[in-house]
Amino acid sequence: MKIALLNGSPKYKNSSSEILLADLKSCILEAAKTAEDACRETDILEITLHHDNVPPEIIQKLESADAWVFSCPLYVDGLPGHLLSCLLQLDSVLRKKELPKTRKIFIYGIVNCGFYEGIQAKTALEILKNWCAKTGLVYGGGIGVGGGGGLSMMSSPKPEKGPKAPIIKKLRAMADRMLRQEASENHYVSVAFPRFLYKMAAQMGWRQQIRANGKRAKDL
Amino acid sequence: MKLIITDIEDFHLPVKGPHKIIKPQTDIRHCIGCFGCWVKTPGQCVIHDGYENTGIDMSKCTELILISRCCYGCTSPFVKTVQDRAISYIHPDFLLRKGEMHHKRRYQNVITLSAHFYGEDITDAEKETARNLIYDNADNYDARVGKICFYRSVKELEDIAL
Repeated sequence: MKIALLNGSPKYKNSSSEILLADLKSCILEAAKTAEDACRETDILEITLHHDNVPPEIIQKLESADAWVFSCPLYVDGLPGHLLSCLLQLDSVLRKKELPKTRKIFIYGIVNCGFYEGIQAKTALEILKNWCAKTGLVYGGGIGVGGGGGLSMMSSPKPEKGPKAPIIKKLRAMADRMLRQEASENHYVSVAFPRFLYKMAAQMGWRQQIRANGKRAKDL
Repeated sequence: MKLIITDIEDFHLPVKGPHKIIKPQTDIRHCIGCFGCWVKTPGQCVIHDGYENTGIDMSKCTELILISRCCYGCTSPFVKTVQDRAISYIHPDFLLRKGEMHHKRRYQNVITLSAHFYGEDITDAEKETARNLIYDNADNYDARVGKICFYRSVKELEDIAL
């Protein structure tokens, strides 16, 4: 089975989208060990969509994959503009190609929000689902992750414990479904970290950053 | 002031009263998630391509009108990118609104947000998503929701009163 992990963050490194895909990759490889024969050999393609177009060689790779996973940040309640451009391009390519009716490509989505509540990614995931309906791909479900702004500071040697634990649980379930080529409803999750502390930490972060740029907190 | 963000390059509909139109004139660069508009040049995007002042324009408007092709229930990449580049309209600090975390206001103006979506084959699911998107945007801008309308073509837009 071939799975394409698509990082739809505009950031080149240290994005929450990248972190979530790395965690999902671990979950897929773990799940593949106990999966049925066909899924034991899992080939994972790691693709970045930092810009507003998809290079032809990437499109070619995607066509050979059985499942695509888009991971991106929530931008103004939706998908980032550059990723939307990529989706329109892929839509156009897929319509011209007319995939055989027996060929099913499953699409999964992971949208991380700076806000605490993962449910705030609901509309962004709906947009991805609508895109699947237009392009003839199978929407496999998505995860809205709240508290995405803190993920880069939440690495843990034991993923089943710590603030990322509920997110890892959802990613494991997604990996299992992916290997079985199953679809599900969207799931929403937040970091296991108190909301008031998350808010406080974020606001301290903004103040540190603006001071580092030679300005005062009140300039924010 | 009315602020109109549209993806229609030859936009020429009459608009009553003071207004500003943001439409594709030069290539727009997408948001890179640097938060420079909050921590380097608060209020203004750090990418200087002619679209860096939308946050400031939003602070001066009473009506924000999006006129866009409907793409899977979202605005088009151009309109969405203009919005992505304008998060400086809101303040980075958080507060709770309707039980959810949102951003604080930076400015005191209260916007009425309207949207006119066009497209040949907008499905019912896409219409529902588009409505949800505008309501979500209004929650985050701490704005009111005005009209949300759908049209089958750009030509049908000619009858709308702005």
